[in-house]
Amino acid sequence: MRTICKILLVLWMCFIIVAAFRLAEPARGFPGQTSRILFFHVPQAWVATLSFFLSMIGSVIFLSKRGPRADHLALAAAELGFVFCLLATLTGSIFAKCTWGAYWNWDPRETSIVILLMIYGAYFALRSSVADPEKKKVFAAVYSLLAFVTVPFLVFIVPRITVSLHPEDTMNPAKPGMDPVTLKIFLGSLLSYTGLYIWMLRLRMRVLFLEYLNEPVHPFGKQK
Amino acid sequence: MRDLKGEFRTRYAVNAILMFAFTTLIAVSFSIGSYRIVEAQKPFLNAVLLWIILVFSALSGLSRSFVREEESGTMDILKLSARPQAVFLGKLFFNLTLLGALEIIIVPSFVLLMGYEIKLPVCFWAMIISAGLGLGAGTTLVAAMIAQASARGALFSALSFPLLLPLMITAIKGCERAALGLDAAGWPEVRIAVAYVVIMMVMSIFLFPLIWEE
Repeated sequence: MRTICKILLVLWMCFIIVAAFRLAEPARGFPGQTSRILFFHVPQAWVATLSFFLSMIGSVIFLSKRGPRADHLALAAAELGFVFCLLATLTGSIFAKCTWGAYWNWDPRETSIVILLMIYGAYFALRSSVADPEKKKVFAAVYSLLAFVTVPFLVFIVPRITVSLHPEDTMNPAKPGMDPVTLKIFLGSLLSYTGLYIWMLRLRMRVLFLEYLNEPVHPFGKQK
Repeated sequence: MRDLKGEFRTRYAVNAILMFAFTTLIAVSFSIGSYRIVEAQKPFLNAVLLWIILVFSALSGLSRSFVREEESGTMDILKLSARPQAVFLGKLFFNLTLLGALEIIIVPSFVLLMGYEIKLPVCFWAMIISAGLGLGAGTTLVAAMIAQASARGALFSALSFPLLLPLMITAIKGCERAALGLDAAGWPEVRIAVAYVVIMMVMSIFLFPLIWEE
């Protein structure tokens, strides 16, 4: 069953990639083909957000219950979120070069995504510099929570202080005005990215769990 | 309180932070001076420079509060003898005193050396004080964590800076507004900084026992 799901997912992703370039019309108001970024950049950003949120939930569960799986979720989700966040930054930067004229110009969106990358960079640095394995997990979870409460300041305050060039109205799927074919392909892309993400997350968590079982010393004895 | 006494005896952190801040201030003032910046740019650029000096000086020395306990081996005794909340509030108070001393000395010197004209001094000082509280509230918990890690100094800056960046951006905007004399009702930036202080303090007080008892 799972194998079938995976094969279907791969086929579906191939279809989405072809459809994004062949079936969808370029959106009005964007130079050339640049609006096709919608089908890749937005799902990447969505998956990154989802992943950081999962990481936070993993941290909270870990702090209250102290199970190894919760810490694995927090770490795996933080790692994958970081990867997708980097991808979203790169694709967004290419789009910025094509439409605004520069790869980087400290648009509020760019500012907040850089701070997000810095937070998780610091999260990995913290994990690697605490020697005690139990302490490491607690510290990482505490830092993750502490960083999470500063995110509202970024998301809601920074963009309001200066004007953003990030396209919102013409490309926001929640608002009417989006071409129905485009909308369908976009939602399909969102689905495929989420599916791919879940697949990757499960793989990473399994690897972490196997590493955990193979650790030489266990304070609580082997589980499972 | 015990920390304050100990600090007055050694004056390690105070000296380090103040000398760091002064060196930076002098470097900035010497290389830029008060006439190099165009008058129209002054309110903004001076606010940026002031906050860069303040934030990085704070990052250079605030981790001392817990690192010293770890280095002198008194961490375990403190864990046994005091409640975590009391320890945390003591350290926070100590850090805030340190920041207060830093601001009282550096901000007037900066204003004099850079010829920084401020139209609304009360608003300016409210911004400085509230953001100073934010610096303390945001970094004390991180200091407690890195005291038990390796590569402390670099790690402290790396962990604290992303947490402080929203506060720093807000403080720069607030100081610029105060210098320009734009009297927006209710000083929005000061309010944001106060909200930041409250949220960070509440989170820290909740989370501190978790890392303390490890």
